Amino acid sequence: MNLNLEHNITRLLWISLILLGVLLTAFILGLSIGPTQSGLRSALSALFSTRESDPVLYSIVWRIRLPRVLLATIVGATLSLGGLVFQALLRNPLAEPFILGVSGGSAIGAIIGILLGLSRFPGICFTSFLGSLGTLALILIMSTGKTILRKDALLLSGVMVNAFCSAIIMFLISITQDARLHNIIFWLMGDLSASDLPQVVILGAILIPCFAIVFVFSHAMNLLMMGKDMALTMGINIKAVTLVLLVVTSFMVSATVSFSGLVGFVGLVIPHLLRLVLGPDHRLLVPASLFGGGAYLVLCDLLARTLPQQGEMPAGVITALIGAPLFIILLKKSRK
Amino acid sequence: MKPALSVENLNYAYGSQFVLRDLSFSVSQGEMFIVIGPNGAGKTTLIKLMIGIAKIQSGQIEILQSPLEDYSQKRLAQVSAYVPQGLPVGFPFTVEETVLLGRAPHQKVLGLAAQNDLEIAQQAMTFTEVSHLARRKLDQLSGGEQQRVLIARALCQQPQVILLDEPTASLDLSHQIRIMDLMEKLKIEKGVTVVMVSHDVNLAAMYGDQLLLLKAGEIVRMGPPHAVLNFETLEETYNCKLLVDNSPLGNLPRVTLVPRKFLKS
Amino acid sequence: MILEKILKLITGSLSAIIVMLACVLPLMAKTVEDQLGREVRIPDDPQRVVALAPSITEIIFALGQQARLKGTTQFSNYPAEAARLPKVGSYVRLDLERIVALYPDLCIAIKDGNPKETIERLQSLNIPVFAVNPRNLETMMQTIQSVGDILNASEKANTLVQSMRSRIQRVDALVAGIDHRPRVFIQIGISPIISAGTNTFIHELIVRAGGINVAAGKKAYPHFSREKVLALAPDVLIITSMSRSGAFEKAKADWRRLTDMPAGLPKRIYTVDSDVFDRPSPRLLDALEILTRLLHPELFEDGS
Repeated sequence: MNLNLEHNITRLLWISLILLGVLLTAFILGLSIGPTQSGLRSALSALFSTRESDPVLYSIVWRIRLPRVLLATIVGATLSLGGLVFQALLRNPLAEPFILGVSGGSAIGAIIGILLGLSRFPGICFTSFLGSLGTLALILIMSTGKTILRKDALLLSGVMVNAFCSAIIMFLISITQDARLHNIIFWLMGDLSASDLPQVVILGAILIPCFAIVFVFSHAMNLLMMGKDMALTMGINIKAVTLVLLVVTSFMVSATVSFSGLVGFVGLVIPHLLRLVLGPDHRLLVPASLFGGGAYLVLCDLLARTLPQQGEMPAGVITALIGAPLFIILLKKSRK
Repeated sequence: MKPALSVENLNYAYGSQFVLRDLSFSVSQGEMFIVIGPNGAGKTTLIKLMIGIAKIQSGQIEILQSPLEDYSQKRLAQVSAYVPQGLPVGFPFTVEETVLLGRAPHQKVLGLAAQNDLEIAQQAMTFTEVSHLARRKLDQLSGGEQQRVLIARALCQQPQVILLDEPTASLDLSHQIRIMDLMEKLKIEKGVTVVMVSHDVNLAAMYGDQLLLLKAGEIVRMGPPHAVLNFETLEETYNCKLLVDNSPLGNLPRVTLVPRKFLKS
Repeated sequence: MILEKILKLITGSLSAIIVMLACVLPLMAKTVEDQLGREVRIPDDPQRVVALAPSITEIIFALGQQARLKGTTQFSNYPAEAARLPKVGSYVRLDLERIVALYPDLCIAIKDGNPKETIERLQSLNIPVFAVNPRNLETMMQTIQSVGDILNASEKANTLVQSMRSRIQRVDALVAGIDHRPRVFIQIGISPIISAGTNTFIHELIVRAGGINVAAGKKAYPHFSREKVLALAPDVLIITSMSRSGAFEKAKADWRRLTDMPAGLPKRIYTVDSDVFDRPSPRLLDALEILTRLLHPELFEDGS
């Protein structure tokens, strides 16, 4: 950051543009590459195949890959932003978007939906969303004492609720004996292929206002870095800001997870990576997380569907395989 | 002259434990007001109440003749600023970024810095002599340097009252003097009212216009240094043997601690 | 926003195109009813079939129609030629893109296992899906007949089904002359111990082979602890599992280690190939014969 106004705004715009460009490139790669072609040239030509020349390829690109790549973008963006916000709110570098009970609650909701034999949309989406709202409410109740929303209380409650939910999930898995077991496990691993275009567009429409709200509070997050009390003396209505950020972020992560299942490591690693490169200013990090997180998941998903010979592997596996070593490297770098 | 800050019948308790009892005093504009007293006297709680971090339970606090409750959080931040002892571990910003944060109460929501903000920040850094450290990360600086940066940040709020919580604790001698000189310069050149909690009785004597001696949440004495720092009052408050005489530097009291070996049996 | 407008335009025009294509296609197709009672429009002479389960793959090969088969699922390992076909994921997790990329004109799905959503998406892409639902030997033979009909191999299907029926009759005849039915516990899966309840293929095989299924009951795949198994006092214990070699032998050894315990032990412990026992395919008849031989070796003394 330089003591130069134009420089600041220009930097924000340039970085946003660059990352947006990265996202668009990833998006195009995601649309054009799949397990059914080989070589980059045939890949790019897939994008330009018209309905006359190659109706099946056209179908594949726009009916199968488009919703999937779009969903990957949305999920990656939301999870990265969620990780960023929770890391700021809880002032804890290990915070990630599922930390406040979202993973436990949504999984239990989804499993119940699967066991009841509901269809993916709207049935299971809905039960999983309700599940995560339930655990969020539980955590808020548990951690509200004299000082509302103390971050340590939030963190502890979140971890405990998730642990408890894990136990319930293991129980539910152990008593499920038929094909629904597969559905449960695939849901837990994260599945970006299960939604079609209208659903993804609806999800995007719901989430964009959430992104905007978080962006509005990005400087407040900067001030929060000084500590809750200090931020208060700077004129920030801590209670309101914390509550709004908490609710909006939990809502958007819950909504996303009910479509895609639990895709891990995006929300943990991407904010740290971006912080290392771009610095700690949240006004930059918020748009950067959106574009960067989206691009990351699109690329991971691309690998997940093209690498294995037999059929795709869950995107969550790739994000973990890449994300975990990346995180360790980042940890080492930040120690210096 | 109307007081910058006035406290009336202030009571505060943590649960059932009383920390402050029926405090009433006022701070004049442009004076250096230093709160002293043994640990647990309630000094930090008092400061937190005055800056609005803690909620008033009973009693009244007025800043610039308006009740504290009437101020919005933002407006309060425009007239009063707080300098803590330090920032949380892992605070990631550089010096100039930290100082610029102080402009937040005067900015819109996204806090994008205007030319005006940048100039004020630059002036604050010059005033506290940290300009040469502008690009350095805050957590890499020494305690004294960090404190000066935090003061610069507070100055960016353009406050009329500045509150500091033990600003010289854990600083080396030269930095202690430097910080206190800075506060005095602030008072004299800018007319800012300085309210400070200090553990160092002698520094309080050398710089304070008014001292407030607190013990167990109650006012023992209040007034200029000579009135407050006499050895009976101090001995009883701090519960140890002391010697009070005149400082060789001028007409100020000087407090000396008396080790046991010097006591006449 | 602009992006959404473009997306709407694309989906709109795509739907229009597909409707147009849908009008052209019916020229060489017919409407049939599949085993789930659905009306499906399939081509008269399917040339590019994708089998969505290993059992279906086996059936298609058994009908000699493998030339039509262009893709199968991951564990389609019988017969050996099937392993060389392109794979479209596993039957519980189908890879939509890989299926579509094979330009199929017909997919044959199995109700127990294939995810409903993927089937629906295949249909929304105008790919006909014929679903089968073999639940016992009788419906399995109907499956073979239906598949034969839609692949223009009705006669072959007929022959196959006839030979299957006569094999069943032979076993029935043999078993009619037994004097006692041994208690049988078939263990699917090594850990946890799972067996098969009344509404399963395995139960039917046991009964037809002249045994009593000690795991009979409402639950299709009940869990057992070792204790519970011993308490049921089976005479014969059969282990089938997808994991081969080492795990098999270890499971056998685990049971044998209990030999020094008093009553209630299965005297005979065998291992069998799960692909043969668990799949609703023609090889189930092999399973039936193997099982009969295991339960009643006395019936085969004459070397038949």
